[in-house]
Amino acid sequence: MSNNPFPLPKEKLLEAYTKMKTIREFEERLHVEFAKGDIPGFVHLYAGEEASGTGIMMHLEDKDRIASTHRGHGHCIAKGVEVEGMMAEIYGKSTGTGHGKGGSMHIADLSKGMMGANGILGAGAPLICGAALASKFRGDGGVGITFFGDGASNQGTVLESMNLAAVWNLPVIFVVENNGYAESTSIDYAVAVDSYIDRAAGFGIPGVTVDGTDFFAVYEAAGEIIKRAREGGGPAFLECKMVRFFGHFEGDAQTYRAKGENEENRANKDCIKIFRSKVSGAGVISEAELNKIDDEVLARIEASVQRAKKDPLPTAKDLLTDVYVSY
Amino acid sequence: MAPLVGIVANPVSASDIRRIVSNASTLQVTDRANIILRVLSALRACGVTDVLMMPEKSGIRRHITRAYERAANLKEDIFPELHVVRQDITSTVRDTVRATAAMREAGCKIIIVLGGDGTHRAVVSQCGDIPIAGISTGTNNAFPEHREPTITGMAVGLAAMGKVPEAFAFEGNKRLDITIGDTIKDIAIVDVAVVTERFVGAKAIWKPENFRELFVTFSDPEVIGMSAIAGLLEPVSRREAHGLMVNLAPPHEAKTLLNVPFAPGIIGAIGVNSVRRMPAGVPYKLDFPAGTIALDGERELAFDQSDDVTITLVKDAFRTVNVSAIMRYASQHGLMKVKAK
Repeated sequence: MSNNPFPLPKEKLLEAYTKMKTIREFEERLHVEFAKGDIPGFVHLYAGEEASGTGIMMHLEDKDRIASTHRGHGHCIAKGVEVEGMMAEIYGKSTGTGHGKGGSMHIADLSKGMMGANGILGAGAPLICGAALASKFRGDGGVGITFFGDGASNQGTVLESMNLAAVWNLPVIFVVENNGYAESTSIDYAVAVDSYIDRAAGFGIPGVTVDGTDFFAVYEAAGEIIKRAREGGGPAFLECKMVRFFGHFEGDAQTYRAKGENEENRANKDCIKIFRSKVSGAGVISEAELNKIDDEVLARIEASVQRAKKDPLPTAKDLLTDVYVSY
Repeated sequence: MAPLVGIVANPVSASDIRRIVSNASTLQVTDRANIILRVLSALRACGVTDVLMMPEKSGIRRHITRAYERAANLKEDIFPELHVVRQDITSTVRDTVRATAAMREAGCKIIIVLGGDGTHRAVVSQCGDIPIAGISTGTNNAFPEHREPTITGMAVGLAAMGKVPEAFAFEGNKRLDITIGDTIKDIAIVDVAVVTERFVGAKAIWKPENFRELFVTFSDPEVIGMSAIAGLLEPVSRREAHGLMVNLAPPHEAKTLLNVPFAPGIIGAIGVNSVRRMPAGVPYKLDFPAGTIALDGERELAFDQSDDVTITLVKDAFRTVNVSAIMRYASQHGLMKVKAK
């Protein structure tokens, strides 16, 4: 009997860990760098939520499309976007994924099926319906996944998209990454029916809630949901309950949090610690192997920051390029 | 006044992967709130003035609060006073466990439980000698009986007010204890299933090729879930002293195949090798190298060769409210009669 009790072979477990760790270090480093004032615009960090994006994206191929949120770095990395181009984009440099014109909230890489982070709450949902409709027409078996938070779930675009996806039986998965805070507004104040699963049920879409701090819970549930959508089973809804280590945005004083909440989250709800404990406890991946990945990831993030700082800014003559797309 | 009745309502039951792999129901939060409101008015009608409820932040209590406000506006005095357990809310099963312990400490005479088999198991882990009354709002719901919650509320109200002798009102139930080494690690109130998946993951079990062993406290051919396998082999009532042990196998290796509703709307072939009665009080040593133990339908404990796992059936382990007996008693003794004006 194999000594690997997990539903992925060791090389895939290593890949998942590398992705989660890359997201974490990318965000931890941005937290530091943003405070120095060198980064234009705003950043919204995904640290703490890595198991959700990674657990879902481990099932996807480049032909599968995702539409992300303003908190999109983790989705980008999990979908395979290169961190060097992302870092340069966040620094506003011409070597970035959007040639430095979009910044953190507009990172996209269509070659990887990443349709873009999005500064408009709930705007990814109709986009992904379009991508899923295209896949359905082409018959290529592609699926579309849109991420949004508990706040954006109130947007009309999200609700209209759920209706459209149900009516057209689109291969769309709506993923609400529920970190408990809609920016700083309590769910009690802003949401009439707090259960996201209930909302999906209202459109005849099946919904599932999983522990978003457990990579394996997300991975298994997402696998069934994505397989179903790929085979024509229609849209589904997935709620990942998770924690966010940083504020809504960098600079958020987080006065809405309970005393000690961040410390508790870091100590007991860290999805990377939980993953490490499971795979090393089962004897599948050693601590030394995980530490080696940590070192490699740190070196890559360091190099991407140094490169981004040195790379050139876009020039005035670039102002009107990349504005329109030719069809 | 001290609350006589506690209510545990799990806001997140019926939201697991079985919504995807089968057409299992989603019971909406508003429905859960309406069930509780019906129970509350039934309790009040039977004389219960104070009820203690588990806190949650999925919106059940906010719907109830709005209903209380509407009743006050309409000058309808139909609800008991509602108290809420003071505890941090984790939105996990820990809320159920801690709220049950708090209700026991507060002196509740009966705890009403809204949930499926998993929620009832969590309550039983803490309720001690306090009887529970189940209302089915989960996925498999083999344990809680299917009944209009108003009637459950009335029966609980009559029993809590002491209008029905305990001998009629309550009955004992069996439990399965799972021991690893010398420690009881967990319990089940309906079934313990051993499956080959070696990780907990999304918890639910729905792949028959992975089923290997099954232990049940009772078996009923009218229920769904893992215990339905036993129910279709040999029905065993909740009151009989024994349970059942069923040795399962992948369908292509099994001695016999049985079509079983092992999840809502899914009737599939299950491989069965043998079925035996399980006497109470006799530890059964698990003879399987590695896998996961699913308790009342959810994978909870991963084990391997290094773990010494035993499963024991325990008689009279906890008490439930016998709604049928109470309502018959109420009818025979005119408990609901009121004086004509």
